[in-house]
Amino acid sequence: MIAGRRLFFVAITLLASAASGAELKHDLYVCANVSGQGGVMGRSTGPVRSGLFRSADRERFEHIGPHHIRTFTVTFDPADPARLYVGLLDGILRTSDRMKTLRIVTGWDMQEGKSISVDPSRPEHVYAGIPDGIAVSHDRGQTWTRMNAGIRRAYTESILVDRTQAGRVLAGTELGIYLTEDGARTWRLVQATDKVTYAIRQSPHDPKVFLATTSANGAFRSTDRGATWRRIPSVPSERTLHNIEFDPHNPRRLVYCGWGAGVQISEDDGATWQDRTTGLPRREVWRVAVDPDVPERIYAGPYQEPLFASDDFGRTWRPLEFGKATVFDLVFVPRK
Amino acid sequence: MKTILAFAFLLSAPVGFAQPAFTAPPPSTAPVADSAQRRAQYLARRMESLRWRTDQAVPGEPAKLGLAEIAAKLALREDAAACSVRIVELMKTPTGDMFWMFPATAISYLGRDQLTPEAKAAIREAWRTYFPLRGDTENHWVMYYTTMHLMADLWPGEGANRWFNGKSSAEISAESRAWLLHWIDLTTTIGQGEYDCTHYLGEYAIPMLYLATWAKDPQMRQRGRMMLDWIFADFAVETLNGAYIGSHARTDDTTVLEKWNALSSYFAWQLLGNCPPPAAYGGWGIYFSTIAEHYELPEVIYRIGTDRSGSFTHTERKRTRHRWRNSDVRNAPVYKTAYITPDYALGSDQGGLLQPIQQHSWDLTWSVPDPRGVHNTIFSVQPFFGPEELMMYFAEMPDYMPASVTFQGKPTYISEAKLLGGSPYEQIFQQDDTLITLSDIPASAPWKQINGFFSKDLARLEEDASGWLFAQGGRAYIAYRPLAPYEWRPLEKGGKRLLSPHAKNGTILQAAAAREFASWDEFKARIRALPLSIAREPTLRVAFTSLRGKKIEATYGAAPRVDGRVVDHAKEWKLFAGPYLNAEVGGRKLTLTHGKLKRVIDFNTLTVTDSSGP
Repeated sequence: MIAGRRLFFVAITLLASAASGAELKHDLYVCANVSGQGGVMGRSTGPVRSGLFRSADRERFEHIGPHHIRTFTVTFDPADPARLYVGLLDGILRTSDRMKTLRIVTGWDMQEGKSISVDPSRPEHVYAGIPDGIAVSHDRGQTWTRMNAGIRRAYTESILVDRTQAGRVLAGTELGIYLTEDGARTWRLVQATDKVTYAIRQSPHDPKVFLATTSANGAFRSTDRGATWRRIPSVPSERTLHNIEFDPHNPRRLVYCGWGAGVQISEDDGATWQDRTTGLPRREVWRVAVDPDVPERIYAGPYQEPLFASDDFGRTWRPLEFGKATVFDLVFVPRK
Repeated sequence: MKTILAFAFLLSAPVGFAQPAFTAPPPSTAPVADSAQRRAQYLARRMESLRWRTDQAVPGEPAKLGLAEIAAKLALREDAAACSVRIVELMKTPTGDMFWMFPATAISYLGRDQLTPEAKAAIREAWRTYFPLRGDTENHWVMYYTTMHLMADLWPGEGANRWFNGKSSAEISAESRAWLLHWIDLTTTIGQGEYDCTHYLGEYAIPMLYLATWAKDPQMRQRGRMMLDWIFADFAVETLNGAYIGSHARTDDTTVLEKWNALSSYFAWQLLGNCPPPAAYGGWGIYFSTIAEHYELPEVIYRIGTDRSGSFTHTERKRTRHRWRNSDVRNAPVYKTAYITPDYALGSDQGGLLQPIQQHSWDLTWSVPDPRGVHNTIFSVQPFFGPEELMMYFAEMPDYMPASVTFQGKPTYISEAKLLGGSPYEQIFQQDDTLITLSDIPASAPWKQINGFFSKDLARLEEDASGWLFAQGGRAYIAYRPLAPYEWRPLEKGGKRLLSPHAKNGTILQAAAAREFASWDEFKARIRALPLSIAREPTLRVAFTSLRGKKIEATYGAAPRVDGRVVDHAKEWKLFAGPYLNAEVGGRKLTLTHGKLKRVIDFNTLTVTDSSGP
């Protein structure tokens, strides 16, 4: 029965991608703890495997990572998408063969990789946000140097390289968004915040446009490549907003999620928002993602619930995978 | 002669240990003068716990032959064949992260000349395929890096493809050594971060014993031995008949009431012999017992832990664990004070959010003949919880954490009736056996109240018209003064909770020994006569002249004064100070003294120097 249901949705996915004239060019990677709310370090987590999962068809998920309940994020090398950098409690892990071989490339003093960004212009340069600052590698992760001089309260949850300029990086820290234009040698505060900035994204349509979500100040927009920022007035500031995404298929469409905020969709570039949480089991949503290959397809990870998918941009939802999961990240990795 | 005495004692030990020490009558608290006898008793206790553990294994029931039983059997060099077969099975499904790593390490080393090649291969394969988490706190990291270091010693020269983390033996050895040196340096300069834990004492001591015993590098072995002395001296000085008293970075909902009931009491039993061990020897205690014969507690520490013939004040400085957010400092200082007498002990920190979730800031503990099941303590807390606290100490998303931790072994974290945890709105000052807490709780706090714990085991409790509550616990007289009106709530585990639902609030506690007074009435009269003024506006302030004649002035938000002198914790609190332990902040050197005995543990020179005065 379940197999039949899966086949049905695989067919839907393929039809949707075919209708758009596109093939599935990406694999969907999921970082998830599926060991339940009581899953805690140092205790048995039973036979359930947590960590990094991969789906080629958006319906069936293969556990490829080591069993690890604190696998926070995954990023690929744009020059070689098979090379993955995984941020987890134990630091930064690198693999080029889907975990058949792997290596923790950071040492004891650089732990809990929260976000990782590879410089598309210089892919040997990798930046990582960690709880006590920013780590930078100039040799594809082989060695790392701490480079957060000038940042007060260096806790860094989000980091993103501007794809238009090598060494230009934005970092979401505890008390604001910082910018470097010299490969992290110097940083300057470009937007102060009261609490942590949890996500920074660059528009796939216009590289000058960036968005950021925070814990206490709602969301921000920049139209000058992150040099200056303005609050998005239509986004409330009462909730911790976990992430925000552009729709690669529609330049005016945005989506964000957060704790108690559910899933919010804008069709007018952030001027107004519609609540698209109905159909999800709760409003505490850890992660949301827009499929680059399947138009209208989005994903949401409500806390301690299955990963959900929607084929009408959040008007209806269906559970996709996992039982009680905390979905830390959803990332589309190019197949080539 | 001493050897003969020790042998004679071992022969006289009960065969089979029909009644384990955790159910037997309590041991004497009198120090054992003869060193050979002391050693023999220590080894007998080790043997008792090992024997009890091996007896838990039932032939034909593999489920009852777990890692602990296997470690005990290998320590006794028994049943290696059966253990080997079972290890092959157990290594197929390793679980428990760093709590798996140190049992696996113990078994590997104990079994070097006992296990079958198949069992050894199964263990080796587990360290390639199982990915244990490094953890997120100090005790996790001590276990993780110590065992990584030892296993890299055991399997040297192996390539990155032989280890779960993709690093070679040489890389693992270097990284784990670097972390251990870093941790030792922090501990011996600004103090432990997860200091004085009633449970996690074991998670530091056991890895250090393994390091001291099994590390290939003689310097690492020496560091392990010295850290054991450091940790056990730090523990022994703040015990009363084996119970870990006063402020703890972490304790739990059981031990905060029943002070003895913790893994720390296994160590008091094993090392000092002056209390019963907890049930099952505290669970993890067995992993110390396996090679406990490789450690001998220095006599000076034994004396410090067992001599309660007089009263003394001991102060020490610790640090908070790493702060990731909501703080401009990575590790804030913790200032501890303990006043210990034969009849009771009062211990405290300065209040505030010093640790997440399980902080215990102060208590008075009184001596009891048998601590099992006895709530021999009194204290108060300002109940607090919230994502701000958890964000400070954990690098995770804020909102899910408060509820989540209640599913992870901390069920009272978000309870209004909680008796565990620190508060940013609580300020504590202790002088001798007098203590004052002040709280000014804002409207945004989860609860604007104080919870006071009043034990079922108090011999007396009287509400006096003066505003004082007079109580007796054991041979301790206690005067407890709530700073605001209160009411009583029953407690599920016995006793009652003083609930004082007022924002500007606090507690004054004065302890004394019953023998200091001709009568109970005299004690009460003396307390009533002590000068006391309490002001709530504009700032909460208490001025109190203690039974010891000290005028203590405590004002919320300001440094306390004693006899007009401002107490400056930052300047005055050394790493350790008192009659027995002394160390400077940043010094890496601890001097232990008791009577004529003296031991200097010096990490600058990696030496231990003993001397005995005239």
